[in-house]
Amino acid sequence: MAWKIILRPLLCTVSLALAVLAGGRAMAAQETARATIVRAILTTDDGQKRAIIGSLAGQGDEAIREIFTAWRQDGLFVYTAPDGAKVPVELTGDKDAQGARAAVRVDNGEPLKDAAGRALRLDASQLAAVEHDGRLRLAMKTVVDLLDLGSPLLTKRLRAIQTIGFAQKTDSLPVLQARSQVETDDGAKSELREAIALIQLADPDDGVKIKALATLNELHNSSSYDLIKALRDKAEAAGKTAVTKAADAALAAIDHHRSVVKFFGTLFRGLSAGSILLVVALGLAITFGLMGVINMAHGEMITVGAYATYITQNVFGEGMNFTLPFVKIAIHLPGLHLTGWAYQLYFVAAIPIGFLSAALVGIALERCVIRFLYRRPLESLLATFGVSLILQQMFKLTFGSNNVNVDSPVYLSSNWTVFDITFDWNRVFVIGFAAVIVFGVWLALTKTPLGLLIRCVMQNRMMASCMGVRTERVNMLTFGLGSGLAGLAGVFVTQLGTVGPSMGQEYIVDSFMTVVVGGVGSIFGTVVSALGIGLADQSLQQILLNPVLGKILVLVAIILFLQWRPTGLFAARSRSLD
Amino acid sequence: MSSPDTGRSFFRSRHMEFTVVGVFLVLLTLVFPVLNAHGLLSDYTITLWGKYLCYALLAISVDLLWGYTGLLSLGQALFFSLGGYMFGMYLMLQIGMLGSYAKAGQNPAGLPDFMVFLGHTFLPPFWRPFHSFGFAVMMVFVLPGLLALIFGFLAFRSRIKGVYFSILTQALTYGAALMFFRNDFTMGGNNGFTDFKFILGHSLVDKDVGPATMRGLFMVTALVLLLVALICYWLNGTKFGLVRQAIRDGENRVLFSGYATANYKLFVFVLAAMIAGVGGALFVPQAGIINPDQMTPAKSIEAVVWVAVGGRGTLIGPIIGAISINALRSWATQAYPDSWLIILGMIFLLVVLFLPGGIVSLPAKIMAWRSRRQPPVAPLAATKPAPDRP
Amino acid sequence: MITKLQKILGVAALALCASVGSARAADDTVKVGVLHDLSGTMAISETSLRDILLFTFDEINAKGGVMGKKIVPVIVDPGSDWPTFAEKSKQLLEVDKVAVVFGCWTSVSRKSALPVFEKDNGLLFYPVQYEGEEESQNVCYTAEAVNQQAIPAVDYFIAQGKKKFYLIGTDYVYPQTTNLVLLEYLLSKGVPLANIGGGYKKDSAGKIISAGKYTPFGHKDYQQIIAEIKDFAASGDACVISTLNGDTNPPFFKEYAAAGLTADTCPVVSYSIAEDEFRSLPAKDLVGQIGCWTYFQSIDTPANKAFLAAFQSWLKTTKADGVVKEGRVVDSPMVLSYDGVYLWKACVEKAGSFDVDKVRAAWKSGVSFNGPGGKVTTQPNMHLTKTVYIGESKADGQFKILKTFADVYGEPHLKGTFKPKE
Repeated sequence: MAWKIILRPLLCTVSLALAVLAGGRAMAAQETARATIVRAILTTDDGQKRAIIGSLAGQGDEAIREIFTAWRQDGLFVYTAPDGAKVPVELTGDKDAQGARAAVRVDNGEPLKDAAGRALRLDASQLAAVEHDGRLRLAMKTVVDLLDLGSPLLTKRLRAIQTIGFAQKTDSLPVLQARSQVETDDGAKSELREAIALIQLADPDDGVKIKALATLNELHNSSSYDLIKALRDKAEAAGKTAVTKAADAALAAIDHHRSVVKFFGTLFRGLSAGSILLVVALGLAITFGLMGVINMAHGEMITVGAYATYITQNVFGEGMNFTLPFVKIAIHLPGLHLTGWAYQLYFVAAIPIGFLSAALVGIALERCVIRFLYRRPLESLLATFGVSLILQQMFKLTFGSNNVNVDSPVYLSSNWTVFDITFDWNRVFVIGFAAVIVFGVWLALTKTPLGLLIRCVMQNRMMASCMGVRTERVNMLTFGLGSGLAGLAGVFVTQLGTVGPSMGQEYIVDSFMTVVVGGVGSIFGTVVSALGIGLADQSLQQILLNPVLGKILVLVAIILFLQWRPTGLFAARSRSLD
Repeated sequence: MSSPDTGRSFFRSRHMEFTVVGVFLVLLTLVFPVLNAHGLLSDYTITLWGKYLCYALLAISVDLLWGYTGLLSLGQALFFSLGGYMFGMYLMLQIGMLGSYAKAGQNPAGLPDFMVFLGHTFLPPFWRPFHSFGFAVMMVFVLPGLLALIFGFLAFRSRIKGVYFSILTQALTYGAALMFFRNDFTMGGNNGFTDFKFILGHSLVDKDVGPATMRGLFMVTALVLLLVALICYWLNGTKFGLVRQAIRDGENRVLFSGYATANYKLFVFVLAAMIAGVGGALFVPQAGIINPDQMTPAKSIEAVVWVAVGGRGTLIGPIIGAISINALRSWATQAYPDSWLIILGMIFLLVVLFLPGGIVSLPAKIMAWRSRRQPPVAPLAATKPAPDRP
Repeated sequence: MITKLQKILGVAALALCASVGSARAADDTVKVGVLHDLSGTMAISETSLRDILLFTFDEINAKGGVMGKKIVPVIVDPGSDWPTFAEKSKQLLEVDKVAVVFGCWTSVSRKSALPVFEKDNGLLFYPVQYEGEEESQNVCYTAEAVNQQAIPAVDYFIAQGKKKFYLIGTDYVYPQTTNLVLLEYLLSKGVPLANIGGGYKKDSAGKIISAGKYTPFGHKDYQQIIAEIKDFAASGDACVISTLNGDTNPPFFKEYAAAGLTADTCPVVSYSIAEDEFRSLPAKDLVGQIGCWTYFQSIDTPANKAFLAAFQSWLKTTKADGVVKEGRVVDSPMVLSYDGVYLWKACVEKAGSFDVDKVRAAWKSGVSFNGPGGKVTTQPNMHLTKTVYIGESKADGQFKILKTFADVYGEPHLKGTFKPKE
């Protein structure tokens, strides 16, 4: 509540400015904000409703925000009293045994009481909900934006300023100016300047317009582009060269800024796309690159990781039921019923679970199928393709043919905007995730005894066996590691789309290309090729403005590249022939 | 690379194998249409078997590369579809004023329907020669052949082989499918080509004439398959055929013996592409549709499986494989829709693990197993390679 | 040698028998075909349609069937493989000799099956919103035509004061055609070309023929496109008109939410998301987005409530294979399938025969059925007149109905009917 104390003087300033400058509103101010909202709720005409809501603009009553939030979330209802009077109420608190909740009157914020003075509890399904639509919400938002102008939260303040600026209503100018006197944050200050300039664009005086354009030129923010463009076209038609010129200059500045943002944005997106490719292909770099197994079921290992994440999420939440196909064994996983942060940690928990479950499936696959095929790599392709079909159908029969959704945890579902470039948290996460996994694999392969064994078995299975290495076991563990890495990829890709039986298929060609380009047997090569392909793909998308052509060009480039360097970027050198 | 079972069929000699294939195809060419004309075999069965035979052509092209030369190409579905598309362009232009837009008077230029809904008002230049049947048939050979020539030249020159060759052909197929999926490519996008009406003036859809046209197409397909089988049979008997199999079994040794293996491989690759292309061209009018789903890597792998199941490195194996797996599919997708993919997957697995020689090696396997149980009776007879096989 | 030959012929004969083989329908039953993908990529959407059809058949059979004959479904699975649609249609019409077929979802599957239906004079009931530009005499389009879905939604946005429209879709015929029509429509409403985002498509003469950004099926990477939309929407009053196909929606909306876009700043209307698709979408990221269909599960009428209750209780008791019983919802394509069966029944009863030509004549004469989504009436152009609803998604995956357009006539041919505003 401390912020409210800080806020109060600010709010006072704003309301004062409004009270003085927006004289027309003085009348409405006599009615409390709550009463106005009640009037709006009970009005049947949509247009009038919006007008009444709009009249609240500039009022500093915090209750407005609270009531509007409840309204938008379908929390408001109209209670019809025994005497026929309609009383809008907000239902709060938890449901009791009868499904009823505590009712709070919208008009005074007090609990709703019956004639005897007892607090009433109401069942939502018995009441008429207060409706809302997009335009009404927009009207509410405008009001809340003005409220938000004084919000201690910077993001809220920024959005409020922006919205007011776009509206280009001259009467909000004083509010903004009053605000800019007290604003301390640099970002908000420049937003305020922009909003004021945008409003000034609508000023009839050309001088004001040119000055505003100069400000916008200096700020070169792409959001003002359309308004400037519209002004420029109008000015050109009217033959006002000075305004046109100033507008052109401002537009050029914005265009320049945009291209810079696009460049760095593409760089970041390329890096993140490359990281996803890397995470997805790393497991294959081990099973295919080191072991020489063409594992067409690699995609299904990713799917295993993804379903493991889905199950983890459900266990953290409400639990789940499913039936194993053919054997018809019903499995019930009880839920932990966690909420809040504890629930959000499901994603962290899913990381080891996804790794282990995919590794186990991989080990089973190795024991049952692949160990018979080490000498016949091309046939491992066919056998694992068969496995891939079987697994896909098994997923479908177990989890249904519908895709399922894994929620984004809060710590992955927002973004930072720096210099107008959006850095999605999940994209930033995958870059870090990829780096950690690669480092981990490098450590495992070079610094552990198992890594030593893996490398020696992969280099010469026969010789290692002669030296007493239990190659069978090493094979099994290596394949398990590769599959586990694919499972990790599966955990992450749940954040990009939904989880479905055939999701793994979409990664298989890309993964193979990444490993082949990098050079079979070289983890470092896979890293370089994944990032390179990601960057090339995103840049081509940007240049060609077409998501498919870029991909096709990358494929063609890869095919041509491999003609030139058939063994990929970093080939493992070997004297062996066939 | 190749397993010891590969290439062994239950025929003692390849002559006998070819005789059986030939007799089977001739019978098919004659008996099926006659039965159909007398109403003893439904039109449905004729078209279904026509499709199977087209798939058999595709399977033979895979076998030429994989079974005989040791090149596992995952691009055969691409060549199959390219052939199909080339012939499909001819069929699309034959629709003329019978398309639904033209009937509604919105298509004065007689464009294929998909072009009209994309807003085109005239035929793109590269479509124009396809009014001619001869040109389209030529392109059925030229385009897949040319693509195979260019790709093969580059790949074999830089000595890409084994797994890498498979992955590269897979990428090629994938890239091409993405290209054909785009509507801007003016090849029908995802919908591809459908609604064919005429072939050389014969109606495909008419209630009276249609079945006869389909019969004709069926006979042509069976005869083409016979011709291709003849070519393969003849090739196997030549020195060329022997070098090819030597490449499969040990390419470096052949190379060091002074043979330009790249040229041999290139020839086989181009030939296989053309065979696949013809298969595709015959497939299109009988299936009634061609679209980019037919050229995905998964389809190529499926064709490889037909060969594996039938028996690679034999003439009859791919034919048996293509027909049996597809017949199984027609039946299982209705009887056990939920388990069909599992059945298919299990077939892949079991064949690769326990029956690398495919169905055709089954009798030999059984005999070998029997003879192992009864050692005195000529233990070597079953495992001795056929006399004309290296 | 002979035994070997016998083996081959044995294999062949086996395959032959497998591919033919069917039993004639008994006198008191009528066979109908169900042609929906139960495996492959489209099984996600189409399995639900198979389920609702089975439910409808059971419901009708329980009430005495069609003209006293019990419906016996013949279910085939084309496996999301388009040539197989033609093959299976042929099988249904020529081998099983069904009276009518309910089926298809994607336009390519319909285009594949269509020539077979025209050749054999079969009747196909097609229930999924589609691109129009088609009017086959052998298809009963219970589906939404473009003017029963795309245009009302755009009208709604214009009424909401939206000025900029970003068109995005999956690269196939439905989005391409819809956007072509929408471009014409938006221009006719006075929206300047510069305010229509996504890029333009020009013919070889340089004339703009269509607009929109197209991504392939299964596309996952929407980073660039979302950045573009964010830039497009930076100046406010923008909306997105999405014809993205089912499985590309989750990555699109996840990226959309992560980039900080919301329904308040830049709402999206999605023509391919109904309640069933919602089951696999991050519903909380989608609150406030717009949908436009001829049925929503949330329609508050006694008819709809009774229908939903009957379906849920059928789910509990049915013994049909592969029917998912938990968490089921109903959406527009399902209800249009349901309506389709009843309309067929009504047409058969009006015609007094199962003969395709007579049933078609009955359809053209105008038959009505009061379905869960309101009254539907058949039209001479093989389409349906029905009620269009605009809804807004809620956190529970249901839609709140914002606007209703009663009795909208299904008009398949729209291209070229809107003239740009001068």
